[in-house]
Amino acid sequence: MTEKTNKEINIVCAPAGIVSIKSPGRGIACLSDAGFESMLLDFSLCCPPEELEKTGKERGTEAALAFEEECCGESAENEYDGNGSISLSQSFSLIEQCQKSGMRIKIAYAPYLPRSYKYSNLNALLAMLAKESIRACGQAGCKYIVIRPLFAGIPDEEIWSRNREYYMELALLAREYEVQILLENQCRDRNGHLVRGICADIYEAISWVDSFNETLGEERFGFCMDVGACNLCGMNMYDFISGLGERLKAVVLRDCDGSHENALLPFASVNNGQAQTDWLGLIRGLREQGFAGEMIFNMKDTISAFPSLLYPELLKWAKAIADYFKWQIGMENILKKYPSRVLFGAGNMCRNYMKCYGEKYPPLYSCDNDSAIWGTVFCGLEVKNPQCLKELPEECAVFICNIYYEEIKAQLKDMGIRNPIEYFNDEYMPSYYFDRLEMKAVPDRIF
Amino acid sequence: MRLGVQTQNIINDSNPSEGFAMMAKAGFACADFSLNSYLINSSIYRGELNDFFNRTVRELEEFFLPHKRAAGEAGVAIHQMHMPYPMYVPGGKAELNDYLWNQVAPKSMELCHFFGCPYIVVHGFKLVHYLGSEEKEWEQTEKFIHSIAPMAKEMGITICIENLYDGLGGHLIEGPCCDGKKVVERIDRINERYGTEVLGFCFDTGHANLAGINFERFIGMLGHRLKVLHIHDNDGIADLHQIPFTFSRSRGNKTSTDWEGFVRGLGKIGFDKVLSFETAPVLDAFPEEMKRDAIGFIARIGGYFVERGKIIFETGMDTKVYAFCQENR
Repeated sequence: MTEKTNKEINIVCAPAGIVSIKSPGRGIACLSDAGFESMLLDFSLCCPPEELEKTGKERGTEAALAFEEECCGESAENEYDGNGSISLSQSFSLIEQCQKSGMRIKIAYAPYLPRSYKYSNLNALLAMLAKESIRACGQAGCKYIVIRPLFAGIPDEEIWSRNREYYMELALLAREYEVQILLENQCRDRNGHLVRGICADIYEAISWVDSFNETLGEERFGFCMDVGACNLCGMNMYDFISGLGERLKAVVLRDCDGSHENALLPFASVNNGQAQTDWLGLIRGLREQGFAGEMIFNMKDTISAFPSLLYPELLKWAKAIADYFKWQIGMENILKKYPSRVLFGAGNMCRNYMKCYGEKYPPLYSCDNDSAIWGTVFCGLEVKNPQCLKELPEECAVFICNIYYEEIKAQLKDMGIRNPIEYFNDEYMPSYYFDRLEMKAVPDRIF
Repeated sequence: MRLGVQTQNIINDSNPSEGFAMMAKAGFACADFSLNSYLINSSIYRGELNDFFNRTVRELEEFFLPHKRAAGEAGVAIHQMHMPYPMYVPGGKAELNDYLWNQVAPKSMELCHFFGCPYIVVHGFKLVHYLGSEEKEWEQTEKFIHSIAPMAKEMGITICIENLYDGLGGHLIEGPCCDGKKVVERIDRINERYGTEVLGFCFDTGHANLAGINFERFIGMLGHRLKVLHIHDNDGIADLHQIPFTFSRSRGNKTSTDWEGFVRGLGKIGFDKVLSFETAPVLDAFPEEMKRDAIGFIARIGGYFVERGKIIFETGMDTKVYAFCQENR
């Protein structure tokens, strides 16, 4: 489906549910066998959110926690002192195993708290873990690290100032280790209902990244968009991506039903035959931006629910889905790769091509196997006999605009066509007509 | 601050006096006139129009004269009205959309004026799937607003756009008018063009809750542009239009909707208009015998919001801290 371009999406698999931190070799081999070449360095495997929560509750006295709960934001005195057993030391064997297996590590994720955690007594521990993560990240040659903001037990009016201080301190270390810190859109737990949290507002996200970078005088901060968190808060993903622009360095792809926080295989969460995540808005936005960053595939909950014997097949399927996203998002890059192009097919897909890309990437003509329409003009394109393709200039690509891709490709090969053959697809288009050709025509303008 | 509630499920066309009297007795000084209940959205989407708006403006006014009189006699002001929606059906027949735009919309404006109602709520068009972006979608909504704005100016009515949701396989997500910054820019630009407040905003708590929007921040951004409220609650999953404080999503059983943020937001902008409840489905849920109690309870919640606002802004304190101080004084 894809050909290598200079700037393209890097597919990254999140290891949660697949790779065991104690013996990572088998899981990494499984990922490798499925075709994944990059893995997320997920430090939360060493100290999962629920473990952190347990630690926090053990260390916070009952009275302090009760007081905090009552006053919602007063800081407890009993902060973690840094002398506990929690550490990221186990990540070293993970990094070592990745290096041995040739599994690239380009992006990491620092430990984080459950969204429902309310007390401030673990914020010092989180800061310590974030610093440790940055060091490990730098040593592993990792370019990016996602670090969630501090939120637990912090009053709304102090969120910005406390995090500014936190991130500025981390930035100095990140600079030393040549790592870029990525902020991420958060959900806030409102008594079990996940609503928009820190940096879920696009204007806030932009202002945080820009303000940090301006203070530092360098691009030390970027953004990672968590599709699952966007979906839980019903956010307009197209607008979010457009607003972030070049700040967007990574996307966490995961599906959920919009109500429960899960990390499902994309397209898995459906109801009445419809997806429950706005994949159209996501792909539209990323395609328009020419996104070529890290695409983290997180399917932890799907993996956990599957029988382990099916993991190899499931992972191969996941890789195919990841490739599909890469292909759809990079569709415009494929169009612009060639100096000229012709279309094969003169139906709805051709019509949609002409609506969205006809002006920007005009085809020379279209061709079709239906001899009845040879010589006619469709959407401004002359429809020709496929035999005409034999006279194409060498650099001209043939874009198949019909879902019988394989059959048409075979036909072209049999005809001896040596030009590049690409598949065009209109499932995720920048815009659509209000009708399809087979329907009775309806006006395509609104008064 | 006055309290209001929608007329749907309370006012009966054959005897509107009874319903308005019930509203007044419960403590509502204002009504949100549910004009949309005379041409319901599901019928419009199916292209199945009734003949209600085939009437002339004069005939429509005659139809609603008893309602107007009954409201006046009960001392209930028609503070806001809901125009039928949608006003554009994507893929619908040209005649259908023409009828909605050129018959239903202007006649709704005439009726709003007839009732002496200062605000009419309209829905933005849901076209992002076809047009590709919210900006392009808004361009079409704005065309519609311009089609009725001259009437609004002449009649002294403010058209209010409302934050809406859209659906994906039953999952409700952000729809038109959910970006506070864009909303503010658009309202100001249009009002400047007409030299008066032809456009304002209707904040719908239930829709905001479905899209996880921060109530306090959104209301704070709207400021004086916020004219009308649709107060109702849900579980964050479905648009249920239920009584505030009734939904919980955790074992603590605390409300999963940010009502404190709502009150703080209103206080911040000095909102002094009507706390209007859009809770008609509640009256379907309760038995007929309990209808009056249910309406009374909704009004009581309105009263609570007013009191909460006073406490927060007179003391500058968070509710829990205030309660704690009161107990330990």
